[in-house]
Amino acid sequence: MTRTVQIPRLETARLILRAPRVEEFEAYCTLVASDRAAHMFQLDRPAAWKEFAAELGHWPLFGFGPWHVERREDGALVGAVSILNHDTYPETEIGWHLYEGFEGQGYAFEAATAARDWAFTERGLPTLVSYISPGNTRSIALAERLGATLDRDARGEDATDLVYRHARPAERAAQ
Amino acid sequence: MTLALHIPRLETPRLILRAPEPADFEPLCAFLTDPVRAWGFGVEKDRPTAWRWFAANIGHWALRGYGYFTIELKETGTPCGISGIWEPEGWPEPEVGWVVYDGYEGKGIAYEAATRAREWAYTDLGLTTLTSNIVPGNDRSVALAERMGATYERTYHNPNMGEDMLYRHPSPSALGLDTDSDGSPEAYA
Repeated sequence: MTRTVQIPRLETARLILRAPRVEEFEAYCTLVASDRAAHMFQLDRPAAWKEFAAELGHWPLFGFGPWHVERREDGALVGAVSILNHDTYPETEIGWHLYEGFEGQGYAFEAATAARDWAFTERGLPTLVSYISPGNTRSIALAERLGATLDRDARGEDATDLVYRHARPAERAAQ
Repeated sequence: MTLALHIPRLETPRLILRAPEPADFEPLCAFLTDPVRAWGFGVEKDRPTAWRWFAANIGHWALRGYGYFTIELKETGTPCGISGIWEPEGWPEPEVGWVVYDGYEGKGIAYEAATRAREWAYTDLGLTTLTSNIVPGNDRSVALAERMGATYERTYHNPNMGEDMLYRHPSPSALGLDTDSDGSPEAYA
C-alpha cells in the first residue's frame, strides 16, 4: 500500500505555508533546545527529533499537522505554524513559532491567520484553541490579535495553561 | 505539496505487516508503558509520551521512508506486535527491531516478522547492511538476533537506551537476496 497524504500549500501576501522538509530539522532542533523555547518546551536532540516526527505524523493520522513557513521574497524559513492534536490535548490546537531574526514583522499573525482559516473552512474543524503559558506575553498578544478569547472554563494541556479559543469565521463576521 | 508514505503490506505464512492505524495505539501503549515488558525497547513514562512515540513512528516513515509496521495475526486480525526498520536521531545506523505483545511470545512471531522486515529492507529499500541494537541483559532479543544470523559487533552509548550492544545482520548476499533473475550474484560488480 502506498499512502500519499496531501499537505496543502497555503499562500499569503508575503508567505508560503508548505510541508516541512527533513533537512529543516536542524532549525527546529536549534529552536527547541534554546531559551527561545522556554514557553514551549526545551528538548535535547533525540527528543526534538521525536517531537518533529510526531508533529509530522499528524498529517497521515488526522489530515492536519505542521507547516513550515517560507518567505516568498527570498525563500527564507521564517517559522512554523502547526495544528496539532496530541493525546494530551483536550482540543485541537493551533500553535506557532518564529525562528530568530524574523519576529516583529507580523509573520506569525499572517501565517496563523491562513492556517486558522484553512482549519475551519477547508478542514472543517469544529473548534480550535491555543494553549499558552501565562508568561508568554507575545503569544497572548498574537492570540488576541487573531480574535481569540480567553476561555476560563476550558482545560489546558497543563493545569496552568491559558486556553485561547479561536472564533469560527461566521462568529468573527458577527463580532 | 504531498507527503508520500510508502508503507507496504507484507505477508508471511501467519502474519501481515502493515501500516499503523489509529486503533493500533491502545495495545502499543499498553506495551510501551509497561516497565517490565518495554525495558529492552525503551519505556515511555505515560500515555502522552507513548502517543508521541506512536505519532513519531508515522513521521519516521515520512522522514526516512521506513519505520515500524504493525504485526497482525492473520488468523484473528489482531495486532500482536511491531517490527520494522528504525533509525531515529542519534542511532548509529538503521536497525531491524521487533516487539511482541503480552500473550504472543513463544510462537516465533518476532522471528517471522523481523525476518520479513529485513528481507523487505534489503530487496525493496536497497539497504546493504542492517543492525539490531540490544540492551545488555536482554537475552531473549540476543537469542532472536542470533537465530536470524546476526553477530555481536560492539557495545556503544545509545542516546535513548544508554549502554547498547550492536548486532550486525548477514548481508543481502549472505542471505541470497541480491541474486538477479538468472541467479548470478553481483552480476554488475
